[in-house]
Amino acid sequence: MDFEETPSKITTKEFLAVVLAGFGNELAPLTSNNGDEPCPKALLPIVNKPMLDYPLAWLEASGIRDVLLICPAPHRASVLHYINSDSSASSFPSLRIDLQAFDESENLTVGTCQLLRHFAHRIDQDFIIVPCDFIPPPSLPLSRVLNKFRTEATYDGAIATTLFFEQPKPDKTSTPEEWRSGPASTSVVWDEKSGTLLHVDTPDEIDDDPEEMALNMSLLRRYPRSKLSANLQDAHVYVCRRTVLDVLKEKPRFDSIREEFIPWLCTPQYNSRKRSKYGHILNPLHNLPSQRLALEHCTLHTGLPSAYEPQSALSSPMDEVAPTETSSLRVGVVVHRASAGYTARANTLQTYLELNRHFLSQTTYALPIDSESRSLIDPKAQITSDSMVGHTTKVGERTNIKKSVIGKHCVIGKYVRIVGCVILDHCVISDGAKLDGCILGTNTTVGVKSELSKCITQAGYEVGDGENYKNERLDVSDWAAPQHDDDTSTEESDEE
Amino acid sequence: MPPKSSSSKEKDLTDEDEVLQAVILADSFNKRFKPLTSGKPRCLLPVCNATLLDWTFESLALAGVQEIFVVCRSYPELVKAAIRDSKWSKPSLGLKIVSIITSKETFTPGDAMRDIYTRGIITSDFVLVMGDLVSNIRIDEVVRVHKERRRTNKDAIMTMVVKPSGVVHRTRSKGESAIFVLDAETSECLHYEHVTGYPPKKHAKIPREILAEHPEIEIRNDLIDCGIDVCSVEVPSLFQDNFDYGDIRRDFVHGVLTSDLLMKSIHCYVAREGYAARVADTRSYDSVSKDILARWTFPLVPDDNHPGGHSYEHIRGNKYLAKGNSVVLSRTCKVGSNCLIGAGTHIADNANIQASVIGQRCTIEANVTLRNVYVFDDAHIGAGSVIEYSIVGSNVKVGEGSTVARGCLIGDDVILGKNAKLGEFERVSRRRDEGEADESDKEDEDEQSEDSELEEAEARQDSESITAIIGEGSNAIVWPKGPRADEEDLDEVERYNNQRLMRIEIPIGDPASDLPLEYEGTESDSDASERESDESDLEMHALSRISSATSTSAISTSTPGLNIHTLHDAAAYSEFQAEVTQSLDRAFAEGHSVDNAAVELKTLRMASNVPLRKVREAVVASIVERIEVVEGDAAAQRREISKMVGRWGPLIDKIGGVDPVETIEVLQYHCAKSARLPLFGQILAALYQDDIVEEDDIRAWHARPEAKGEGLKDTSFAENVKRCWLVGTKMIEQFNEQESSEEESGEEDSDEEEQPSKKPAAATAQAAVGKKEESSEEESSSGDDESGEDDSQDSEDDAPATKAATAAPSQPSKPASTPASTKESEEEESEGSEEEESEDDALAPSQPAASKPSASSTTPAVSAAPSAPPPVPAAHAPALVSSTAAPAQPSTQDEESSEEESESEASDKEPAQTAQSQAPPAVASSKQPVTAPSKAESEESEGSEDSEEEEESEDDAASRATEPVPQAQVSTPKASTETARPPATITTQTESVATIPAAVPRPRPGPDVVGGKQNPVVASGSGQVASEGATTSRATTATATSSVATTQHSLRGQSAQERDDDGGEGEESGDDSGETDEEGNTDDSEEE
Repeated sequence: MDFEETPSKITTKEFLAVVLAGFGNELAPLTSNNGDEPCPKALLPIVNKPMLDYPLAWLEASGIRDVLLICPAPHRASVLHYINSDSSASSFPSLRIDLQAFDESENLTVGTCQLLRHFAHRIDQDFIIVPCDFIPPPSLPLSRVLNKFRTEATYDGAIATTLFFEQPKPDKTSTPEEWRSGPASTSVVWDEKSGTLLHVDTPDEIDDDPEEMALNMSLLRRYPRSKLSANLQDAHVYVCRRTVLDVLKEKPRFDSIREEFIPWLCTPQYNSRKRSKYGHILNPLHNLPSQRLALEHCTLHTGLPSAYEPQSALSSPMDEVAPTETSSLRVGVVVHRASAGYTARANTLQTYLELNRHFLSQTTYALPIDSESRSLIDPKAQITSDSMVGHTTKVGERTNIKKSVIGKHCVIGKYVRIVGCVILDHCVISDGAKLDGCILGTNTTVGVKSELSKCITQAGYEVGDGENYKNERLDVSDWAAPQHDDDTSTEESDEE
Repeated sequence: MPPKSSSSKEKDLTDEDEVLQAVILADSFNKRFKPLTSGKPRCLLPVCNATLLDWTFESLALAGVQEIFVVCRSYPELVKAAIRDSKWSKPSLGLKIVSIITSKETFTPGDAMRDIYTRGIITSDFVLVMGDLVSNIRIDEVVRVHKERRRTNKDAIMTMVVKPSGVVHRTRSKGESAIFVLDAETSECLHYEHVTGYPPKKHAKIPREILAEHPEIEIRNDLIDCGIDVCSVEVPSLFQDNFDYGDIRRDFVHGVLTSDLLMKSIHCYVAREGYAARVADTRSYDSVSKDILARWTFPLVPDDNHPGGHSYEHIRGNKYLAKGNSVVLSRTCKVGSNCLIGAGTHIADNANIQASVIGQRCTIEANVTLRNVYVFDDAHIGAGSVIEYSIVGSNVKVGEGSTVARGCLIGDDVILGKNAKLGEFERVSRRRDEGEADESDKEDEDEQSEDSELEEAEARQDSESITAIIGEGSNAIVWPKGPRADEEDLDEVERYNNQRLMRIEIPIGDPASDLPLEYEGTESDSDASERESDESDLEMHALSRISSATSTSAISTSTPGLNIHTLHDAAAYSEFQAEVTQSLDRAFAEGHSVDNAAVELKTLRMASNVPLRKVREAVVASIVERIEVVEGDAAAQRREISKMVGRWGPLIDKIGGVDPVETIEVLQYHCAKSARLPLFGQILAALYQDDIVEEDDIRAWHARPEAKGEGLKDTSFAENVKRCWLVGTKMIEQFNEQESSEEESGEEDSDEEEQPSKKPAAATAQAAVGKKEESSEEESSSGDDESGEDDSQDSEDDAPATKAATAAPSQPSKPASTPASTKESEEEESEGSEEEESEDDALAPSQPAASKPSASSTTPAVSAAPSAPPPVPAAHAPALVSSTAAPAQPSTQDEESSEEESESEASDKEPAQTAQSQAPPAVASSKQPVTAPSKAESEESEGSEDSEEEEESEDDAASRATEPVPQAQVSTPKASTETARPPATITTQTESVATIPAAVPRPRPGPDVVGGKQNPVVASGSGQVASEGATTSRATTATATSSVATTQHSLRGQSAQERDDDGGEGEESGDDSGETDEEGNTDDSEEE
């Protein structure tokens, strides 16, 4: 079996994965502190697996070995515990995870660019930025993105490859309006044929001109047939050359990778001035022979994008066109269509819930297998096959669970009715409670015969007996008069 | 579009096919093919020996169109005849062609559409094409798709046919293209953005709102607009409803797509197969011809389906020879590939023909080389000629050994002489006979407009160089190159620099390498903005870490960004100023009221968001720059100024705020950098007269540091500013003088108090000042050298001068007495005549001798100065005359004086000079002023005759007073005339002027003295001269430059107003005359 390991060792140093884990303010109150204990976003479970599992598994599947995991300092302990725990060690045996924390108190507004700059000295090779909340579908292996990057970086000097996915139309009835706070999908101009990202509509630009989107004519000359899509979402997965970091250092003002840096990174490919200014940084001269010739003769090679390619057979001949530059400085884009599998970033309550439901619909009857846990579930409880119940969770008799995820170590009383809920670990639900479409944070206690509909509770929240809530966010801080807590949601959403 | 209900569809189609109509707009509405199209419409230009119209018919016939309306505007008879004679009107073809002659007022396709609507000929969906289409696209398929769509969506009113090609394609115009934003699924056109080649477009703006309904759209910059539209019936009515729709794309499509009310949609049909292109310019003429020869248009190729009905034989290498053995090819001639040669053409030995189209019955003589040349029928190319990338009209004769470089257009019937050498992009056409020109003028106005260009061309045909271009014995005229004068009026697309992108041309070279073109240009532009942002980045950066010492470099780099900002501002301002100029031009040309012009300016200001001061600057600048400079005629100059200021001056205060002080400052700064610097004083005086600025304003302005040019770097500009300031100083001194003199002259006040009388007096005084200055200038030119000689001579002259001068010092008002008398005679307009004289003098070479006389003349002026009149003559011909003028004047004056003497009036006035007689003349003068203004005006118009008489009379008076100096006398009359005109209220001024001189320091004699210094001289001129006599005047004259003279004019303008006052003062001046003599003598002695 040794020979299986050898090839993976060779590829180890090719990429470094930078996994960014943030506070998850968009997911409040789930990510609010439970007393003094933080609830790290990265460890929020999706169908009873911490969401960090998904990107890590994705990375591992593509042969990545080195992971730089960056999380907020307060989360460090719990994340570290998770990494060293049995479960992750067994699931990601080949990953070498370097956990680094950034201090939140030091710099209150820690932008992703700043993080990257701060940890740049730890990045010596081409790297992949992955958020902790991107839940990739099985139909989209990371290697697809990596391969595109590998090809284009060597073939025509691409500098980065991004991943966008089509956002399915949100089901407006499933979740209350208040849950939806995530950023609307951005408008993206890209060249479908060559898979090139050309322009990302940034919030700044929208502020500048809310009526019209200005596209550089040089862009349109180089890519005369480009697509403008308003329904694509940035997966925040970026495969970049190491040199990109050097440019990032020259742009100290950039704060957000997604909203500022990547849109800017698209410009040198058609803007000659930026090309001349940053080209040597992005694509320094090197002695490595170009693989171009080899690739051109590769049968698998589908032909690399030439913007000037004639598009129809019966057209009179083209004029001579000046040859393009040797290095295109392109930013590639992989677009994942909704039809090819559900994808989302679990960075809003809505997508979090939808992801849970999505995975529930994929699985079949996921009750704990071990007998000990099984014994805790009353045989008279009705649990439909599209539900999931965690380990050592006790379910009382005549309890009805449908389309729901029940975490570990929960206690669910008798005659409880749970429909379409996500119940995190250590929750206690008393007899006769009715829950519909709720998300309960860890350690939530629900009183006898209380009814919750489309509510979210902060970790440790206690719902009194017989209480009735609908469409509420229930926070510990002001649980006497539950209100929507919008104050915490000001920080950046893409601070993973 | 799966054929679900094929039966019903077929039925529909057959139903509708019966009425498939097409409209051909057979006019180009532009002039890109001039001069080939002078004499025939563009649609009758041959492409591969068939007219464009035939190609278009052929294209439509392929599509199964059965009824065609041809809308023709220019040369409709020719079009009609062409249609009648073509094969298309044969009844067997089943094609119904109706030609519609639209009026000459049809300037745009939109107008044509409205015409179509009013005629009500459209009954169903129809095909709309331009009359320059070459296409083999199955338009019937487009029609079918269109109708299909219409069945479900009644709002889909139009389908445009586009062809994917790529950004750079030879049939895709570089000068005019478009970005189509399409829905990827339905090909609905969501946004249309017109792109002009030059100036290069920076950004395409895509409205975000379309994303709401269409999340996936395509932005396509690779489409050729084929100019084929399938339109619904309501399209013409939409044109009717929106009278401002001109262009079908830029106005109609854009309008429909952006309208929130219409709720109509327009679709594109992306033709994957087939060929379609418009011959929209000479460049596409070339590429379409090539495409036809290369058989891209199959089945429309010369050897089959030739629209002209010719038959050609297709030979390997895409050569086409007319069938029937009518083509005579010499054994040694070479015909390269991609050539077409019409019937009856002879090609002689060793001719080399590459990629060219040659019409019928042409003669190509020996050793001719043709590369990429399009020769129309019946042309004759002389032996040894070389022609490249050009179009040669029909019946053209090119002389032997001629060279025609790329891009030339040779109009029909042109004959080029031997060895003609046409440079790149020359356009030549046949010179028309006179009668012909008239005829065509009558024919229609449309041709007239083109005639204007033609005439312009004709006008400049005299030069030898032209003959060199077109050769001996040519009947050609060369059209002007470069942008036209009325370029601004043209549509952006039709402007010169953009049109350069549309010319026939070597395809691979760059069409206009000197243009900061398209893509490069765009990039550099975008870079500029980029740099800005980048730089601002740096700035931000610098700020963020400003605490650290590293920030310096960042700051230094950030300055370019700032500069760019200012540049932007400057650009915006200059644009605004251009707008104002245009607006005023219009206002001027069309005689708007000041109020209307003001409203327009206000709007402009709002639109451009410029501070009020900028508006004022722009207005003042426009007014100043619009004043005609009348060289050597001060009176006329003043008239010009007062006319302009009187008409448009009020506008300055109507632009949104009254700030006369600023107005003056603006005027000053504008004049300082304008060629009209010398007019500053006069303009200011005119403003003062029109009450646009008040005395207090002038004083306030004068006191400001800006007015003195403080803070300005020591440049010529600052110097000019300073000069203006000095003029202001002078004026203020005049004011002071006036006040004081008013006080002093309390006795006379009876007359003076009546404003008119005062003013004239002041005016004369000023005039005197001006004259003195001028005279001093005159001297200056000659002065330096002559100083030795002059002195002796001068002394003679001075003697009289001194007399006058002496008179002056005593009281400024006194000297005026002589003028007053002259005024009485109302000879104010004598200026004209004097000027003439002076001009004559000017003709004489300025020799030392001449200068001496001039010196003498100047001295008289000096002497006159006290009396105020002398400056005028100098003022008229300030720069030119100065030294030379003098000599001539004396003689003429003498003559005149004799004549003058005869005049009784003059004699009458003379007595006035004496103190005793003062009182009566003064009265007279005071009366005169009242009447004078009107008279003066009329007199002025009358011209020199009157003035001469007047002068004479005046002269007499002067001569009597101081006989030796006739010139001085002459000058006096002028002054009086000047003063007479403006009835202004400046009584005090004139007086002050007269007095001011005294206060002013003596001018420095140095030859290097600049205008600025002279000004003081001028200012002092009147006063000092009077007091100090000839010495100062000489000294000043020696140094004075012509520019000074002009500035003096302005003063005169003021003085003119005041001349009446002089009349009043004249009473006193009579006494002065005696005094001046005395002083003059003393001065002379000093000089010597």
